This record gives sequence, structure tokens and C-alpha cells, in this order.
Amino acid sequence: MLILKFVIKTENLTKKYDDLVAVNKLDLEVETKTVHGFLGPNGAGKTTTIKMLVGLLKPDEGTIRVLDRDAVGDKPEMRLHLGYMAELPKFPKHLTGWELLDIYGKMFGMTKQQRQEQLPRLFEIVGLKGREKDALGKYSKGMQQRLGIAQALLNAPELIILDEPSLGLDPVGMVEVRELVKHVAKEGVTVFLSSHLLFEVQQVCTHATIIHEGIALTSDKLENISKKFAGPTKLLVEVSKLKKSIVESVKALPFVSWVAEKDNILTIKMKTSDDVRSQVSQVITKAGGVIVSMKVEGQSLEDVFVKLVKNKEGNRK
Amino acid sequence: MTKEETVKHLWWNAFLAMTRYELLWNIRKKKFLGILVVAFVLATLSLFLPVILSNVMNEPLEADPNYVIETGAGIGGFGFLLFAIVTAMNSISGEFESGSIVPLLTKPISRTIVFLGKVFAGFLTLLVTYVVLIIYMAVGGTIIYGVQNNLHLLPLTLLGSLISTFVWIAIVLALGALSKSSMIAALGTFGTWMGANIVTGIVSVVAEQAWILSYVAGSGATGFASAIGSQIPGAAFIGKAMSTGTDAIAANLVDFALYPSTEVNFYKGLFSSELLYIETLEFILLRSISVALVYICVFSLVAWYAFRRAEIKE
Repeated sequence: MLILKFVIKTENLTKKYDDLVAVNKLDLEVETKTVHGFLGPNGAGKTTTIKMLVGLLKPDEGTIRVLDRDAVGDKPEMRLHLGYMAELPKFPKHLTGWELLDIYGKMFGMTKQQRQEQLPRLFEIVGLKGREKDALGKYSKGMQQRLGIAQALLNAPELIILDEPSLGLDPVGMVEVRELVKHVAKEGVTVFLSSHLLFEVQQVCTHATIIHEGIALTSDKLENISKKFAGPTKLLVEVSKLKKSIVESVKALPFVSWVAEKDNILTIKMKTSDDVRSQVSQVITKAGGVIVSMKVEGQSLEDVFVKLVKNKEGNRK
Repeated sequence: MTKEETVKHLWWNAFLAMTRYELLWNIRKKKFLGILVVAFVLATLSLFLPVILSNVMNEPLEADPNYVIETGAGIGGFGFLLFAIVTAMNSISGEFESGSIVPLLTKPISRTIVFLGKVFAGFLTLLVTYVVLIIYMAVGGTIIYGVQNNLHLLPLTLLGSLISTFVWIAIVLALGALSKSSMIAALGTFGTWMGANIVTGIVSVVAEQAWILSYVAGSGATGFASAIGSQIPGAAFIGKAMSTGTDAIAANLVDFALYPSTEVNFYKGLFSSELLYIETLEFILLRSISVALVYICVFSLVAWYAFRRAEIKE
């Protein structure tokens, strides 16, 4: 069996709403068996892009391949292998949770026996056990969100697309969703997850694309993005007793730009974004210092994100 | 079974699943249940009102062997409209309004199958409703008015009622798919009915009998049964007012089955005796069925096309 390199591949993808360009020549590549975050502020074009990927919207320009199939327009065969959860999903209120998943399961071609085996497992996984027979009109937002995840997992898909999966969930629910995503990814399913929550992406994703005003600002492995865009970092080192010899030793390191000292804390500005904590630690210990704590500053995804968005807005001005 | 194998008969599974999805929605709608109750109340009133009146007037109730076949399902033009609106007004537009269209259209089911499943579920809902209403009237009529004639023609009443209702259903679906608003679908169809039945009706009374009314959805033009062929109907049939529109298919089917050589006279204005033209009931029936089928096909195609092209922005 041929293993796909990319489960999602778009070229020059563009969508306009009258004069507004919601998605602008987007080239997106999502590698197989990764958890790929789609990161951007509200209104960046994340949901529009996802709706084009699943066939709810037609692009004005460009091509889309999902699971090696053309995905522009109404393509039921492509959706057979796809799980999708919309942002704040809404379901028909007249059905019960069980009826809904049973009907969706039949649409996926699952036999009655398969549905009867799969449904209780899914209700258990998403924490809705015991509420299967309740009408969906009685489900809270959080419960609908959980059901949204259950229906996205129903067909044991090769690719799951989750649009803001934590939206509307309480903190416990958010943690559960993250654990669920990690669990699904471990089973070899590719997850494409849109979010405006940076910590969520940082915690569950291996790769990320940052989008702003419909344009992809960067797309890579998470660690590479941090390295590429974070620039020089700061290292905050607390020692038990600060001595002049320690400061001089640190200053002498080739990758150190400057050092500031206050109480027992050294603030070391680096010329590099590489991880040099072990070298710094070695020098301090050799100079007779005892390290109490060490913290890297300025290398979070949040910093990268803010920097990229500000650069983009700055360029426009 | 592998996923690839399931694809082969997926459309059939999807169609059945979609029909179940819609059928459950139809029978659980409060407004549909409300209209059903109203229909049964009206049918009951129509059955029992003569009984009550005969008791009040202290006159014996006469047996009427033609009561059931003349009354049909107990619902007329406005009944068809109401059933069409409550069955179909949310069918497409309601999915857009509630947002439930998003998870539905991201399942491996084509929009055409979604549409067909919805229409078929609407058909099943009405079929069962009308069958129950007709049986209720047949049983009630037999108990109250004695043994009934021509009950074997009731399937024609059912067929005609379904065709008439589907004219309005197609209009509701088309307006719903174009506007994505249940309110516009319902009010737009009601407005069309008002225009077709009331305004044109008034015009036909004060002006001339307009042949064009036979091509408008609704009651159509009105004429009077006259010439009798080989079969001799009851005296009550001669001079009976007969409509030519799509809402009159059920009654015309039964009349045609009973008196196939009937001719219908059309006068210049309803209160005039100046004869304009004569048509055979056979021609009127064929024309009204053709007109109904054209309406059903055209508006269904419009609805299907609009639904297929619809973008889910919200």
C-alpha cells in the first residue's frame, strides 16, 4: 500500500467574499501521521480554509487534495475517510444522541453490528455515557462539542479535521480534548486542528501553520518555527550565591551578547536561538556557582506568533 | 467489509439513513403534530355536524351512500397547502438556520441524495397521514351515513391528494433552498396560494372565466358539469361546480372514474349564463395532472439546483 506523504495539500487556494479576500493563495501541506495545528487570530481564514477542505465552500481559485483525492466541491467518496468537527457544532434537536450517530454511521456504510459495537465505545470516550437516549435539544454546548468529537471519530478516519475543538468547553473538558487528540494521534491518525489558543497547539501539535488575514505566514515543525522566528533568547539563571567570577565566565562565552545581574539572578541575552543551557550550566558550576533554577525566555510559540503577526501588519503599513 | 467495498452501495445506505433522519424530524415537529390534530378535528366535525344539526332541528338524519367518496380525505386546497408547508418548510432552510447542515454535508453522502431523502421522507409522511385520514373518514362515514358506494375509488382520492400537495411542497422547497429561510419559504408559498386562489378567483368572477387559471397552481377555473355520456349520474351531479386546477385532481379523478363522458361548461363570469367554451372532464384531468407534474418537476429542480450550489458560510 502506498503511504501518502501529505494528507492535505492545497495550492494557490483563494476564497473571496465580495471584496474581502478570506483566504489568499494558500499553499498548505499536512504530513501523514502528524498533529498539525492551524493557528491564527479570529478572522484569519482558518474556518474558511477548513470549510473548503471538507467541501462546504468552493474555492475561487486553487486546488485541494485531501487523502490524495480532489476535494473541490461535493465529494462523498473523499469524506468516507475523513472525520470533521465544526466550530461549535450544531445537531438536529429532534434526534437523540444515539439516533444521530446511528444515522451518521449508516451513511458511512457501517453495518448494524458495527454501529452497535462502535457507538457505546464512542459515548464512553467522549464522556457522554448515560446520555445517549437524551434528545439533542437537551444537550448543553459542551455536550454538543463532545458529540461533535464522537461523530468525527465514528468512521475510524485516516484524517480528522477539528475546528476549534476546545471552544465552549470548561477547563476540564479542554484538557480531556487535548488528551483525546493525543490518544487519536498515537493510533496513527493524522489530526489537523485549528485553534486560536497557542498553548493548545503547543501542547498537542507536532507541526503548525500560522495564518493571518488569509495568508500563511509560516508552516513547519513546531520546534523549527520557534527556532526560525524566535531570534535570540534570554536565559534567567538563579544561583545560590552570585560571584563576580561567575559573571565573567558567562560573559566570556561566545554566544552571549550581554549579562545583567540583580540579587542572585543572572539575565543572559544570547546571540543564538539554539539551546545552550548545558554550556551555561557547565561554566557556572566550574566557576563555583550552584544553580537554583534556569528559565528560557522569548522562545514560546506565542512570541513567534505575535512577532509574525506584528511584522505582517507592519509591512502593510 | 473494507471501506472501499462499502462505497459501492453507500448511496443506498445513505439514502435510507437520510430518509430516516428526515422522517423522524417530520413526525416529531410540533407544527406537524398540530396540523394533524386540526385535520382530525375538522374531519370529525365534518362527520358529526350533520348529526348534531339533525338533532337540534329534530329531523331524522338521512342515509348518504356517497358521503365518503364525495368528501374524500376531508381536506381541500387549503389543507393541501398547510400540510405542504408544515412538512417541508424546515426541510432544507431549517438545516441552514440551525447549522445542522454542516455535520450532515460532511458525511459521505452527496447533496443529491440528501435532497432525495428529504423529498421521499416528505412523501412517506403525507402518504401515511392521508391514508389514516381517508380510513378515518371511510369508517366514520359508514357508521354515521350507512353503507357507502364506490369505496374502491378511495385510492384515487389518495393519489390526487398527494399530487396536489406535492405541487405546494415543491414550491416550499424551492423557496426554502433559494432563501435559506423557513419563514420566507412558508410565507412565500402562502402568498402564492393566496394569489393563485383568492385574487385570481375574484378576477374570474368579476371579469371573464379565464382559461389561464387552469395553468396556475391551486383551484383553477370553475365550470359546471353538464353533458352526460353513456353513464347516467345522479341528478345531484348535473350542474355540479367543477374546478380545473391542481388542487382539484383528487375530486376530478373520482368523478372521471364514475362519469368518464362528463363535459364541463364554462361561463362568462360565474353569475353569467353566456357560455364561453366546453371541455371534457378527461381533458381537464389530463391537463391538471400535467400542470401539476410540470410544477413539481420545475420547482423541485430549482430546489435541488439551489441546494447543490449552496455554500455553507455560517
